[in-house]
Amino acid sequence: MNLIISIKAELIKTKRSASFWLSVIGAAVIPVIFFLAYTIKPEHNYSSGWNKHLLQGWQVFNAFLLPMFVILICSLIPQIEYKNNTWKQVFASPQSISGIFFSKYLTILMMILFLFLLFNIFMILSAIVPNFFFSKFSFLSSSIDWSEMLRLNFKTFVSLLAIISIQYWLSLRFRNFIVPIGIGLALLVTALIIYQFRWEHVYKVPYALPVLTMEVIRDTGRPILENHEWNSAGYFILFTVLAYYDMRYRKERG
Amino acid sequence: MQPVIQTTNLNFSFSNGVKTLHDVNLLVPKGSIYGFLGPNGAGKTTTLRLLLGLLKNQQGKLEIFGKDFSFHRIEILKRLGSLIEQPSLYLHLTARENLEIYRLIYRTKKSRIDEVLKIVGLENTGKKKAKQFSLGMKQRLSIAIALLHQPELLILDEPTNGLDPNGIIETRELIKKLNKEHGTTVIVSSHILNEVERMASHVGIIHKGKMLFQGTLGELQQMKTRQTSLEIETNNNEAAAQLLQSFTIKSLNGKLVLPFENKEQVAVINKMLVQNDFEVYALHPQQNDLEQLFLDITSSNS
Repeated sequence: MNLIISIKAELIKTKRSASFWLSVIGAAVIPVIFFLAYTIKPEHNYSSGWNKHLLQGWQVFNAFLLPMFVILICSLIPQIEYKNNTWKQVFASPQSISGIFFSKYLTILMMILFLFLLFNIFMILSAIVPNFFFSKFSFLSSSIDWSEMLRLNFKTFVSLLAIISIQYWLSLRFRNFIVPIGIGLALLVTALIIYQFRWEHVYKVPYALPVLTMEVIRDTGRPILENHEWNSAGYFILFTVLAYYDMRYRKERG
Repeated sequence: MQPVIQTTNLNFSFSNGVKTLHDVNLLVPKGSIYGFLGPNGAGKTTTLRLLLGLLKNQQGKLEIFGKDFSFHRIEILKRLGSLIEQPSLYLHLTARENLEIYRLIYRTKKSRIDEVLKIVGLENTGKKKAKQFSLGMKQRLSIAIALLHQPELLILDEPTNGLDPNGIIETRELIKKLNKEHGTTVIVSSHILNEVERMASHVGIIHKGKMLFQGTLGELQQMKTRQTSLEIETNNNEAAAQLLQSFTIKSLNGKLVLPFENKEQVAVINKMLVQNDFEVYALHPQQNDLEQLFLDITSSNS
């Protein structure tokens, strides 16, 4: 399969780049805070149980940090080609334009899923490790609700899709990585302000969708995907198609 | 002989409206080393970028291996290797890792990595990252990437730019060797006439987006001597021709024309004519576009 070969080549390119450590650090920040809270102040009255622990983790993560790291990761992969002046060699190699476009896209999605995986592992560790020292926690004696954990992961991921597609497009367009990151962070902050104002159309604002998911994710009795999460998936398809045709019909490559 | 590259009336304008190429008809015969010569900004890189599909062809026909590029892009790219402008390498990766990326894409055997590293003399760089390489080493690694899949055609844009004299000679020898031993067709651009003359079998000269000359190296050299001439007009051309018979003289429209060698030669001829009581009406080296272009090309030699 051509695409798999292209993805393998992409993964070699990320070797020793910042992307791996960015994922590790991005995934570790919040679990470390939980770990410190549990170990330094074990006497505090924490809401107990795995579900509460994981839910709180995802809520805090998805409010700002996770979208921010997603913006950074989306810029990092196209930036490898810009920084090294290698776009021309990529386009002069026998790969279809769709192969080039989607191999990078899938590499980004894989890195975001890697970030998710690490976050889950770190969240579990941040609960189990303090439990070894302080028996008041019940994490060791109770089992993790895997389906609930999957639900949290899934909804969070879907809520981020709109941002991922827009950021990927921006990162392909601009040689200077400050531009997509700057635009992304500005839009993210703007969206958070709009969310604060409770604007009635907030569920249409791509950068506000993760925080909307954060708000409703605690209610388990709701549909699998909220309206705004469907919007996120819709934006994802729209901007992916636009970004692809933009690359396909660009007059100057590399 | 079937041409490997053939373009018909290639035209190109950048989005700012500046026309970079005017009716470029490139003809690169199979098995040749085609020196693509022109001063900086003449349109060499634009032409080569069009050949690789890095710029979208606007007007004219572009055939490589006898196939239309716009319909057989991947098929054509599989059979050629390229190096455009400065080296494009992943600087955070080693020589081997850089090659591995393209080995996957071109689907060649693993053993080719060692082979091409040996060809360009980079087999002992080990864990050294490309960013620690000298410019010459980077250039060689880029050539190694271009050679990975044993292409039938190599497109090299100023491959010796920025190299030291030793590196220039090595690159030139490498190009000749590939051409001789593997029959690889090479199109190599340069702004240095001298360099092209030392390796090319065919030459194309481009200036301000127009092809001024295209042909074999022999034809170019003929043209050069034919084009640089000294025109003399005296009160008695026949007698003057007698006097100057040590030079190879042609008569043309009542003027004497002889090959121009240097300024000192002009002074010697003038003295001879004046001392023998000829009235010299005109004595001037013939300047034409090609001549001027050669001066441009050779004087910008760095």
